[in-house]
Amino acid sequence: MSAPVVARRVVASAPVVAVAGALLLTTLVMLVVGVDPTLAYPALVRGALLDGNLEYTVAAFVPTLGMALAFALPLRAGEFNLGGDGQLAMGGVTAAAVALLVPLPPGVAVVLPLAFGALAGGLVAVVAAPLSTRLGIPAIVSTLLVSAPAVSLASYLVRFPLAEPNTGLAQTPALPEAAHLPALGGSGYLTIGLPLIVVLTALWLYANGRTVLGYEIRATGRNREFARYGGVGVDRVAALALAGGGAFAGLAGALIVLGPPHRFVDGALTAPGYTFTAVAAVLLAGARPVVVPLAVALLTFLQVGGQGMEREAGVPSQLTQIVQGLIIVIVAVLATLRARRAR
Amino acid sequence: MYAAELVGVTKRFGPVLANDGIDLAVARGEVHAVVGENGAGKSTLMSILYGLHRPDAGEVRRDGTRIALRSPADAIRHGLGMVHQRFRLFPGLTVAENIVIGAEPVRRGRLDRAAANEAVAALSERYGLRADPSALVGGLPVGVRQRVEILRALYRHAEVLILDEPTAVLTPGETDRLFEVLRTVAATGVSILLVTHKLAEVLAVGDRVTVLRQGRVTGRFATSETDADELVNAMIGRSLAPSAPRRARPPEGDPLLEVRDLTVRDADGVARLSGVSFAVRPGEIVGLAGVAGSGQRELVDSVTGLRGAVPGVFLAGTPVRAGRDPRVAYVPEDRHGRGTAPDMSVAENVLMGAQRDLASRWSLPRAAVRARARDLVDRFSISAASVDVPIGTLSGGNAQKAVLARELTRPSQVVVAEEPTQGVDVGVRERVHDLLRTARDEGAAILLQSSELTELRDLADRILVLYEGRVVAEFPGDAPETDIGRAMTGATG
Repeated sequence: MSAPVVARRVVASAPVVAVAGALLLTTLVMLVVGVDPTLAYPALVRGALLDGNLEYTVAAFVPTLGMALAFALPLRAGEFNLGGDGQLAMGGVTAAAVALLVPLPPGVAVVLPLAFGALAGGLVAVVAAPLSTRLGIPAIVSTLLVSAPAVSLASYLVRFPLAEPNTGLAQTPALPEAAHLPALGGSGYLTIGLPLIVVLTALWLYANGRTVLGYEIRATGRNREFARYGGVGVDRVAALALAGGGAFAGLAGALIVLGPPHRFVDGALTAPGYTFTAVAAVLLAGARPVVVPLAVALLTFLQVGGQGMEREAGVPSQLTQIVQGLIIVIVAVLATLRARRAR
Repeated sequence: MYAAELVGVTKRFGPVLANDGIDLAVARGEVHAVVGENGAGKSTLMSILYGLHRPDAGEVRRDGTRIALRSPADAIRHGLGMVHQRFRLFPGLTVAENIVIGAEPVRRGRLDRAAANEAVAALSERYGLRADPSALVGGLPVGVRQRVEILRALYRHAEVLILDEPTAVLTPGETDRLFEVLRTVAATGVSILLVTHKLAEVLAVGDRVTVLRQGRVTGRFATSETDADELVNAMIGRSLAPSAPRRARPPEGDPLLEVRDLTVRDADGVARLSGVSFAVRPGEIVGLAGVAGSGQRELVDSVTGLRGAVPGVFLAGTPVRAGRDPRVAYVPEDRHGRGTAPDMSVAENVLMGAQRDLASRWSLPRAAVRARARDLVDRFSISAASVDVPIGTLSGGNAQKAVLARELTRPSQVVVAEEPTQGVDVGVRERVHDLLRTARDEGAAILLQSSELTELRDLADRILVLYEGRVVAEFPGDAPETDIGRAMTGATG
């Protein structure tokens, strides 16, 4: 394929059309509500990339990418994991509990809370598996159902058994120094969480495309009856994929808690909406796993930049949520159109 | 003037020219057969006539005037009706309700049941299609359901009726009754387009026949002036070799597949199989006949391990293992639902079952997966642009060859084949039969389930007949079709 052909395909591809279309519509919305786009967009870029904000954007990229994997991995097996919030919160609170309650030597003091966070997230997710295989409740429903009580349980734990004494705040005490994630360079926000999640993403991409398990997960997702007929233990594979997704969510929670400000603050994990942004990014990336990190980067940029835009240009950051919502709508419309054209 | 005409119809799907300047004309009251191999363009042509696809060039005419068809609704308005291969009926509604749906007689804003029943009864009477208007469709045999589909089209005043492979789901007896019905309906002036690949049917019921090959018309005949050989020639461009002689040496040795007193119940506790016993020896093909739903699905799923470790099934003397026993090669009937994952590549589809053999400790090398697929594509002469295209883009025959390639290269001694030539053309059918014969000659024990008695008689050494979950009869492979057909309906003696 020649370079111009490749370029044309990229430009016409669903993600590019969706993002361009969403930005266009958002610009229209700005004009209608009386916001000057020539002020708003530079503010958006500055808010995400310049004035020392880049570091913060990259820091937000880490949990969003983690949550994107939490959604994308089970999706490969045909399971919709919408319970990211519950897995994230339980992962975070478990990591905090391990770091606070178990005295550990340096090194282990970081690794063990991360491992337990991932484990907790995986367990929360895997509850959905028997609900779907035994009782026929689809994962898209059961993960969501399990999520709310999991978030509440985390909230209860941080308000009562794990609460910081005598402050009345819904947060744990600061974690011991040994449990802090090592910072990258002299950064205040960036930790080894970034390289960790990047490496795990690369591992996932490899496993997805070039291992037996990846193949069996994909076969299960594309046609479950075909995989079952071929001898794949589809229930086990689906449960494994959900558990893997939950583990990524739990790890994302643990990374947040072990990073600055080094404590579990109730609501701090779920309030930024990492889960929804991640779902949007995965849907935007469509069926191409390699594109997932790029889509996450783009949406994180919009998310963080939106807050800068609000600070600087007085534009409500909800506008960037409109962009995000529009992206999903356009992706869905394109998918439907394509299906219709295929007839 | 023709009741319906397609003039110079051309339709392209991407690189595939499905219809290439096709002319087809159907006279009033005629039964017109459209035959051709799979992928010859029959379905596309009928979809254009029914408004499901729009042609790139050419036009559709009704009674001599050009009509524009943007949807099936347009087609219905112009007096065209279609009976699909898979019925589109509501099992929970009555016959009358299914027929009037979309054009219900209404009284005070509600369905007028009495009027609906009356209209349907009158319609049945007029065309000689017997069906009880108040019976629930879910409880009816397949042949009657098909009649309901036909009545629905006639209720909407169809003057041109398209039937897509209508006999695929019918027993021989039901097929005969369908043909009587078609003749009766045609006698009232309705034109019938019969899409099929079974030549005997064409000759039995058609007035004229149009043959398609690779998107073009390769022959037009009056059925009274042609024969099967001429039609086959037009369909595949050559004559068929006479079928291979039955092998003389009787199968011997211990059975590779043995089923002893197998009883299977469904989730509601209803027995789907009762006390089924048989054995298949190395080098033997045992045929399985029966009307759809007689327990074939349950038997096959039990033998392959897909129903779990069912007691009573033994492979080479040991009990079947749960979750697809690797000792069984299995060619399933439902090619898209079970036999393949249509949007995965050819290479990934033929990989299934061998993925662990190709993998090293940490990886499943893509090069090895592709190389193996290329080898299978060559050996089984599958035509595919590359092994990386989705298998769903292959023609039915090539997808089926891919399934056979995958299954017959498994290190298995037992082969279970379900409708192995359903929806494939004459040339592929021959090839599939050769592959099964070769497997047999190499010592495999083969269980062949087919609704085509000719196929069973061509291949099987013995034929078992299932009826309501029991083996009700056993015939030698060359028993007369009428005897087998009678046993399939449960008639004894």
